[in-house]
Formats: sequence, structure tokens, C-alpha cells
Amino acid sequence: MQYFLQLLISGLAIGAIYGLIAMGFAVIYKSTGLVNFAQGEMTMIVAYIAWTVSTTGSGNILVVSLAAILAAVSLGLVIERVVMRPMLGEPVFATVMVTIGLAVILRSSINFIWDAYPHGLDIGVGRGIVRVGGIGVRTGQIAVIATLLLLLAAIWAFFRYSKTGVAMRAVAADDRTALLMGISATRVHALAWAASSVIAGIGGVFFALSYDLSPAMFQLGLKAFPATILGGLDAVLGSGIGGLLIGLTENFAGGYIGSGMKEVAGFAMIIVVLMIRPFGLFGERDIERV
Amino acid sequence: MRTGDYKQSYGELVTLIDSPPVWLWSTVLVLALVVAPYVLNAYALSFLTIILITVVGALGLNILTGYTGLISLGHVGFLLTGAYGYAVLVSKYQLPPLVGFLGAGLVPAAASLIVGAPSLRLKGLYLAITTLAFSFIINTVILEMRWLTNGARGIAVQRPEIFGVSFESDAAFTHLCLATAILTLFATLNIRRSRVGRAFVAIRDNDTAARVMGINLHAYKLLAFVTSAFITGIAGALYGIYLSFVNVEGFPFLLSIEALAILIVGGLGSALGAVLGTVLIVLLPEATRLVFSLFSAQMDAMFTTGAQELKSMLYGLVIILFLRFQPRGLVGVWHDLKRTWVNWPLRY
Repeated sequence: MQYFLQLLISGLAIGAIYGLIAMGFAVIYKSTGLVNFAQGEMTMIVAYIAWTVSTTGSGNILVVSLAAILAAVSLGLVIERVVMRPMLGEPVFATVMVTIGLAVILRSSINFIWDAYPHGLDIGVGRGIVRVGGIGVRTGQIAVIATLLLLLAAIWAFFRYSKTGVAMRAVAADDRTALLMGISATRVHALAWAASSVIAGIGGVFFALSYDLSPAMFQLGLKAFPATILGGLDAVLGSGIGGLLIGLTENFAGGYIGSGMKEVAGFAMIIVVLMIRPFGLFGERDIERV
Repeated sequence: MRTGDYKQSYGELVTLIDSPPVWLWSTVLVLALVVAPYVLNAYALSFLTIILITVVGALGLNILTGYTGLISLGHVGFLLTGAYGYAVLVSKYQLPPLVGFLGAGLVPAAASLIVGAPSLRLKGLYLAITTLAFSFIINTVILEMRWLTNGARGIAVQRPEIFGVSFESDAAFTHLCLATAILTLFATLNIRRSRVGRAFVAIRDNDTAARVMGINLHAYKLLAFVTSAFITGIAGALYGIYLSFVNVEGFPFLLSIEALAILIVGGLGSALGAVLGTVLIVLLPEATRLVFSLFSAQMDAMFTTGAQELKSMLYGLVIILFLRFQPRGLVGVWHDLKRTWVNWPLRY
């Protein structure tokens, strides 16, 4: 039972990180209709910037988080403006390939800007251990689960009530009609990239808090992929919940079957989901079987 | 005065080579490649061998991505299973190399059936996602199946001997790769001009229309995927023999990206493009290194320490720039040049 609870908590914690990154995928897919294969790399860059800020400055938690959010916003905006916007109107194949190219560039840039060694992001919080019901839980793990739940609520309210949120949903549903209603599609796209970068970046910073920064961190994006497939590529909230489920699956598979299974569990899940419910648990049922 | 290139019958549209000069130059090129191993030094020869092996793999992916318009992000998985298929059959069970090559094609083909059957029923990017997943799953599977694959230790592979001809020397091995590359080239060109190839292209251009014309989309997409995996597996076996050692480390994920970069740079959906793209992409890191080393020794040092990273950055940049500024690839450039040459001084 002790072991089960331990797996449950750590599964939820890593699942919350996957969930945040998966929400990043979904935000971009929902408003621009393309899968951003560079999501994991963007996450990694934001986490590295946060680490640089924490080591050069005083390491104040407020300063670091503000700097990380600012960095994430500008990263998203720059990528959208420089790389993605010129591809507007090109076939999906080409735009998706561009994100793949971008992913490779960002991934290898880590080794030139920073270095190939692992680093711990230490801003004085997140590594303390709290005892809950007989098992030790890191404060960082509690914080990331809480953050995911808070963001889920905030994003739900944003899409439901704010004018910008409704505009984003309109562009996602039918960009031409949205354009005729006076919504600027490019602004919505820019906003989506910035938001996606921030949400995923938060996940990356939390990952760096609980674990370590390393150039292999982009694999978080690959791990979060099953989450967004499970939750539904166009379901932002669903992707967050999908992340929790994938984290749990992975941890239980690793804990009870074997450590090799931990790596594959998520990917095996993708194939099962695509066979049974290709639009995901919470996605819209508009899969075309031509 | 010659005013253009006119076709007068359907037969002319599908001929492999439509003009005598092309025949002549192709023959000259093949002869030059046959002689090349005796003339080139070992360093240049290794590039030639790599190019020939990569051409086989790129042509394999071209059937899927170029002709049928489906993205695969996990072709390195098929390279890997192909290499292991060969290594296990030949090194472990001492079967003849030809059986090994057959296995190197059939094992990835079987794997592609498992991956493709569920994901190809759907339209869109699902194949990209499942193949990406596949390339990671297969690594774990190979590492776990120690009784067959030796796990992380890998399998050593000898150069083969086929029908009493030894391919032990570098020159002979290059000839083997050349023969495979030419065979693959003919195979893909013939697939392209047959009913099956036209069905692939129809699916790429407009799947609804293809369905209306009576093409079974699921079957043909699956056929494209399996054929592609088969050819890629052969390339994997050759690469394994070239490395003389097969293990998971020898086949990094970057190879999948490299293959896509080759197709985009060369021009999607054209066998000539796959060949041109391969030559450019394989030589690109080396050429860049040469250019930079002219400037300073420090740059040169950076290339030796961060070779893998610089390579990936180059591939990424090349993918983005070509998609942005020359989406038709090198083949597009070649066609434009040809048209200008024929019509000059007129515009068209």
C-alpha cells in the first residue's frame, strides 16, 4: 500500500508536468491546426533560461518565475513571427516539417549556448520533503499538481468567458468566418504560440525543480505526446487530464511490470488510443476516415 | 527550331528515360561510379559508400512520403530492425547473406504492418505520431530481447560473400552498395509508373478523388508503408555491414530527420530528387566544415567537438529554408534550369 501510494503521488507529479506540456500542444493545435513537434524543445529552452537567471541573479523565486514567463512569451512570439508566419497558407505537410526542423535546431542549440552537463535548478524551494499519510512527498511535486489544477481552471474560464478566448475558439472552428467577423487570425496565432510556450515552459521549470536540467530534456515533449493524444489533440483541458493519466500509467507500469515498460508505456498507449478512440477521450469526433 | 518537349502517346509518358542524351549520361555516370572505388582515396570512398547506402534508404522513404504523402518520423526504426534482421540471421545463425538481406527487408515490413494497420485508417498526421512512438518502442524492445539481440552489446557483422564473390574490400563493398542502389532506383521508378504508383500519387494529391476512382485507400497506404519499410530495411542492413557492428547506439533518431531533410531538399515525390538530396545532405556537414575552417582554426575545433549538434542544426536549417524558399527542392531548380536552357532567349 505504501509502495502504491508512493507510485501514485510521483505518477501524478510527473503526470502534471506532462499535462502542462500536453496543454501546450493542444493550444497550438486548437488555434492553428498543426502539431508543434518543437514543443519539448521550447519547454527545455525556457527551463534553461530560468536556470541561467537563477544562477546569475539572486535566485529570488519571484524574479526567476517572472523572467521565465517573459522568456517563454518572447520565445513563442519570435518563433511565430520569424518561422511560422511566413508558412501561413502553405500545406500542413510543409508547416509540420518546419516545426520538425525547428525542433532539431533548438535541441542542438542547447549544447552551444549552455553545455552538455546536467544542472539542478535551485531556488530554495521544491526539494523539501513533507510527510503526507506516512509517505514523503516533495513540495515541488505538490506545487506542480496544484499549478496544473489552477491552470486548468483558469484556461477553462479564459476560453469560456473572455473575448479573446472566444475569438481563439472561433478561429479554431472556422478561420474564414472568424476573419469575416473581424478577428485577426495572425494575432490569435501569435497569442496561441505565446500561451503554449508559457504553459509548457512552466512544466519545464517544474521538471527542472524536481529533477535536473539536461540536453535530453526535450524528450519530455515526446513523453507528453501520448498525453495530448489520449486527452484529444484539440482538447486543451483534456490534454491536461491526459497528462495525469499517462503519468500514472507510466509509473505503475514501471513499478509493477519492469523499468523497461516505464519508457514504452506511454507510446504503447498511443497506439491503443488510436485504434479505439482516435480523437482522444475529450476530443471532438471529427476524424476523417477517407 | 525546337519549341518544347512533346509527348505523342501514353507510352512516351511512362517511359523510364525519354531521350538518348539522358541514356548516354546515365551510362557514363554508372561507369564512372564503377571505376570510382579504384581511383578515390579511402576518405572520399567512405563518403561515396555512405551516399549509396543513404540513397537506398531515401528512396525507401520517398515511396511513403514523396509518392503517397504520408510523414514517417520513425524510419530509423526500420533501418534498425533491418540491420538487426540481417545481423541476427547471418552472424548469429550463419545463414547465407542473401537470406540475410531478405530477412532485413521482411522484418521491418512485418513491423510496419503492426504499426501501419491501426494508424493508416485515419487521415492526417497520425502516422507521424505512431512511427515516432515506434522508433522509441523498438529501441527498448531490442534492448530487452537479449537472447536474440545481445541487448546493448550489439552484434558484430562481417562483410558478406555472395555466390563466391567476396565483398571484403572497401572497393568491392562499394560495388555491392552501388548495385543495390541502382536496383532500388529501378524498382522505385517502375513502381511509380505502374498502376500501384499512380494510385499512391492519387492518394497524395486528393484522397477523396482517389477513393471515388476505386482505390482502396487503406490497402494502398499500407502497401506504400510496407514497401517503404522493406527498402529502408535493406539500407539498414547495408549500413550495419558498413559499420561492421549493429547496436542501438549506431542508429540515432537524427537519421529519421536526415531522411526527411533529404527528401525536402531534393524535391518531394521524385526519385531524382532523392538522389540529389542525398548527395547534398551527406556532403553538407563536410562542406560546411571546410568553409568554416578557412576562417579560423577555432571554428574547425568546434566542428570536431560538437559535430553531431552542428549536423542537426544544419539539417534543421536546410529543412526550414528549402520549405520556405524552394519548396520544389533541387529537382525544381534543375527543371527551371532546363527550361531556361531550352527556351533561351525567350521566357517560355
